[in-house]
Amino acid sequence: MKRRTVLAGIAGTAAASLAPPALAQQDTFGSKELIAAAEKEGGLTYYTANFAETEQEVIKEFNKRFPKIKVSMVRAPGGQLITRIKTEAAAGKLGADVVDHSDRGLMKELEDLFQDYAPPNAADYRPDALVSPKLWPGVTLGWAIAYNTSLVKNAPKTWMDLTKPEYKNKMIGQVVAPSGGTTWTRTMFERQVLGEDYWKKQAALGIAMYPSGAPLSDALVRGEVSIAPLLYNIIYTKIVDGAPAEAIFAPEGVPIIPYADGIPKTSKSPNAAKLFMNWRLSKEGQAFQIAKLGNITSLKEPPAFPKGWDPTVVKVWVPNFEQFEKLRAPWVEEWNKTYGYRQ
Amino acid sequence: MTATSVEALPAVTEVRRPSRRLAAPLWVTALLLILTFLVIYPLLMLVFGAVSDSNPVIDGFGKFNPSLTHFIAVLGNENVRLAFFNALMACGGGTILAVVIGLAFSWIVVRTNTPFKGFIAGASMIPLFVPPLVAGVAWSILGSPKTGLLNTALKWMGIDFRFDFYSMSGLILVFGFYYAPYVYMFTASALRNMDPSLEEASEVSGASAFTTIFTVTFPLIAPAILAGSLLSFVVMLGIYGVPAALGAPANISVLTTYIFKLTAWSPPLYNTAAAVAILLMFVTAILVWAQQRVLSGRSFATVAGKAFRPRSLNLGPWRWFTFSLALVYLFVVVVLPTIALVIAAFRRFLFFKDFDAVFDMKAYSWVHFNSIFDNPLTMMSIWNTMKVGFITAVIGGLLAFAIGYTINRTHVAGRKSIDLLSTIPVAIPGLVVGVAYLWAWIGLPGGLYGTIWILALAFVARFIPDTVKALSTSFMQIHKELEEAAWVCGRGLLGTIWTIMLPLARPGIVASMTLLFVLAVRELGSSLFLYTSDTTVMAVLLLDYYEGGNIGKTAAFSLVQTVILVVLLGFTTWLSRGAAEGAGRAG
Repeated sequence: MKRRTVLAGIAGTAAASLAPPALAQQDTFGSKELIAAAEKEGGLTYYTANFAETEQEVIKEFNKRFPKIKVSMVRAPGGQLITRIKTEAAAGKLGADVVDHSDRGLMKELEDLFQDYAPPNAADYRPDALVSPKLWPGVTLGWAIAYNTSLVKNAPKTWMDLTKPEYKNKMIGQVVAPSGGTTWTRTMFERQVLGEDYWKKQAALGIAMYPSGAPLSDALVRGEVSIAPLLYNIIYTKIVDGAPAEAIFAPEGVPIIPYADGIPKTSKSPNAAKLFMNWRLSKEGQAFQIAKLGNITSLKEPPAFPKGWDPTVVKVWVPNFEQFEKLRAPWVEEWNKTYGYRQ
Repeated sequence: MTATSVEALPAVTEVRRPSRRLAAPLWVTALLLILTFLVIYPLLMLVFGAVSDSNPVIDGFGKFNPSLTHFIAVLGNENVRLAFFNALMACGGGTILAVVIGLAFSWIVVRTNTPFKGFIAGASMIPLFVPPLVAGVAWSILGSPKTGLLNTALKWMGIDFRFDFYSMSGLILVFGFYYAPYVYMFTASALRNMDPSLEEASEVSGASAFTTIFTVTFPLIAPAILAGSLLSFVVMLGIYGVPAALGAPANISVLTTYIFKLTAWSPPLYNTAAAVAILLMFVTAILVWAQQRVLSGRSFATVAGKAFRPRSLNLGPWRWFTFSLALVYLFVVVVLPTIALVIAAFRRFLFFKDFDAVFDMKAYSWVHFNSIFDNPLTMMSIWNTMKVGFITAVIGGLLAFAIGYTINRTHVAGRKSIDLLSTIPVAIPGLVVGVAYLWAWIGLPGGLYGTIWILALAFVARFIPDTVKALSTSFMQIHKELEEAAWVCGRGLLGTIWTIMLPLARPGIVASMTLLFVLAVRELGSSLFLYTSDTTVMAVLLLDYYEGGNIGKTAAFSLVQTVILVVLLGFTTWLSRGAAEGAGRAG
């Protein structure tokens, strides 16, 4: 309860300090004309690969500022969403006004489907978080180390701690490397930053493997595993609700996953789509996602920090996009071999 | 009924003949056209995907690049072979268990004087309405080696034994528990429709009740047993939720979990998934062929023109034994998982330090229910699901009746092809067929894509085999003499169907439509590709909750879905009971 109050307090302060005065609002989210045109369109369709519940919170918050714009959401897991977008687009029936996707590589391939777009605060974003001038990181997620507070007496403090023999026998759970772009980012970080033999040392402990992050976060809360690297947003809302869990950001670095979001050329409500993108990418939108949803941000100067994030110690790690594409297949195969995962 | 004079007969046949000669080929052509649209066209898309590198909608058929790479990759991959072997083990074991349970149960309910049969019959169907994902989750809550409630309870009692449902035997048990209703559905209606005079004859000749069961009763309902076990085997082969929840933690991969991985990875490997799917279809085709060979050339007609009442065996004091057997089954299959789901739905978090923590009432609340009903998508998805389920049940039921009648009761040319075409979809796993439907139907002119009709169409196509097979069992049992009697009395073909077949097969039709409704409500794989923001269905939302890692909301939403389905079951039971009484009066 206490923790929740504190967090709510942080969120409140962050949001309050960022709420732009009425006049400046227009410039922050778009011109008066854009807002009027968006409100005239009245709604938009939003395709997302992120969790439905999380994105619903985003829509709710957006509607506090722009109540006249109805956002309809279509949510599907990453690979399936891409197939749908490609097929719909080819048939001339792409229903999306905004697409939000975690796999930058796959979105980059579809670049031609998207129109030119940049938010008003484009210059505030880290250049290494962008794969195309048309695609923007409306969502940015980061990897944390989570543990069950009822089961772990001596909590891990660094990524290297996850190779300690005291955590052997399936105390640690991992999402398998081939599951998607987010996990591939983490495994790439482990090998490039923590050392060539990091996987081997960790695999030797005996690791419980999970197909994706959400069931792993659930397993951690239930006590099936005691420790797990997890995307912070998956475990954050559970911690706020009082689950017996805690998460830390390790000093060696926080691998982050900037999403690639864009507005298709075929959008039927391009103004509403632009306004929605502008708001999500604005300081207010990003601060909301950090405080309420446990996201990170790709803004050069973060408007807020997640709990336990000390900016003087914690460094953000963004994968080099070229290597991200090139190393993926061979390294994932090696990871499978090292961890004994049958693909 | 009116008496018909012998002189009237030739005139009737003369009038009917010319129109019938034309009607039969037209009828067969119409059915074949419908099936081509629903089955062959999407299937061609799938084969196209499996033997090429392209997406037919994006690249067009012009850029068809035939390539056997996927097939070779699939056949050469030892993990595919392992997944294949695991799938055969889990589904084979599960089917054997399902047959044992389902058959025993239908016998207890239909043929004995076991007390509270109506209640047992109703409750034993509940597992059928539980989505596989939910069943898997419920059993992982109960049977996880580390945190399972059963093991926590054993520890509390000081017993050293531990359950481990994260294993092949766990998979087999859960498959057997949950797919026994398939066997039950088929065998119970067969037993109900069976003329007991055959059993009486056996007993008069000196056979014991036990011998009679195994030499007369079960062989007579062999088509139902075979149909039920084949269907449950094939359905198990296509299930994703149970092996995902129970197999994954033990690194046991089956074909469906493998296919899901292929479609969920980035980038998704649909062409490879299509190749694995075709492998799966091949296995199913062999099974269907084997079943038809076993059944061909035998008559299983046990419903004849003679009136009879299903016989009930007096078990004496043993009836309490059968009753307790039923109770044990109900406890394991219905009560335990429901308790697990209720605990998960009402508890804020599913962490138990020890068994006493289960009874800590402070940990329980309505929070998950409040949160799912706060979500505007929840009510919309329920409403959409009901609409889609209803449309699917009606259209699918009618189509299945037309197909079933043509296959089983007529000798028109082309009925074998109809039979074959209507059996194919059973073999295609939902996730892959979803893409095939998307590829096949997105380009159709008109506003089909984006409406609930496209979902209903996909469900009708996907579940034709289940519905036709369920109906065919009823058809097979209705003796030809009843129809012949109607013809002799001067009824035309449609009149005969209307006055004889429909009333007699009505319990079967209602059961098939109910089955179709239930399958449509649960169906995820094809929904995932065809739903839009306005046509979200419950299965999609349930996956959202599960994928979001929220077991509480997943459980709460599953309970809502189960309650809706149980209410529906009550309604159809009442409907078919009315039908049975109506038929009784007519006879």
